[in-house]
Amino acid sequence: MARECTISDHRHAVLARHLETISFIMKKDNTKEFFSRSIEETMDSIYGLALRLTRNPADAEDLVAESVARAWSAIESLDDKQRFRPWLFRILHNCFISDYRKKSVRPNETSYDESPDKNGEDEIVALMINQSDDFMHWWANPEKEFINQLLGENILKAIENLPEAFRTTVMLVNVEGLSYDEAAEVLCVPPGTIHSRMKRGRTLLQKELWDQAKEEGLILDNQLQR
Amino acid sequence: MTHDDNHIEDIDCTEAIGHLYAYLDDEIDDMESLAKLENHMKHCKSCFTRSEVERALSGRIQKAAKSHAPASLQNRLRDLIQKF
Repeated sequence: MARECTISDHRHAVLARHLETISFIMKKDNTKEFFSRSIEETMDSIYGLALRLTRNPADAEDLVAESVARAWSAIESLDDKQRFRPWLFRILHNCFISDYRKKSVRPNETSYDESPDKNGEDEIVALMINQSDDFMHWWANPEKEFINQLLGENILKAIENLPEAFRTTVMLVNVEGLSYDEAAEVLCVPPGTIHSRMKRGRTLLQKELWDQAKEEGLILDNQLQR
Repeated sequence: MTHDDNHIEDIDCTEAIGHLYAYLDDEIDDMESLAKLENHMKHCKSCFTRSEVERALSGRIQKAAKSHAPASLQNRLRDLIQKF
């Protein structure tokens, strides 16, 4: 038999709704505080990745702002707060692919994985593996020779000249310190792909630096003949 | 060579170089492979040197490619989050 709704029942219902509202506001405030703090902590990293992807400071700023807006909209999908960085990197990368890649001045090179430049790799592998011990000692004298003469500008130019897939992977792993598993999650590829991209990306990077060093006279022909 | 090293199977330079980047990225989970690689580098001057060069270059790349978000972006993001 149905019981008549009393004033007390009504008050309880109103109170429960108020409590729900307060709880929702508190949860949202906590989430917003966490989000804001996390963005502050990762701002340099996401801008750095955006800059290497877009190769343009103004586009990089727009990409970061758009990604942060999308991240806030999708905050409920973040299962583990400890993984905020890779989660945000993934959103930024997806945002770049969907909205910014087409603006890129250069054609995208995503098919590079499937049709690698074997000649370039063979050349650097030959340089790095088959050289004599004397040559290696010259190459490997970082305090006095090659590496210390590589300016930040040379390195940035070499990174920017990498095909996009390798550039992004090198940025995530080498620069931002993500594990292969985390980078794989960001780029939606198997960890084995990250492993091979890191090998090939570094090889291409070294080849680029090597070419720059030759152009700038840091490596002389008579040194190559040792 | 220590007594323990005698029990570690040696690998050649090609195999060592094949694992080198994963080693530098701290991505070798298999302890046996790790032991073989480290053992090889103890005895192979060429691979050890290469490893040191790669490590140094990796450090230079990390340092060179780090960016700082410009003040304009920092302010823009703070304003944006304020509106959420």
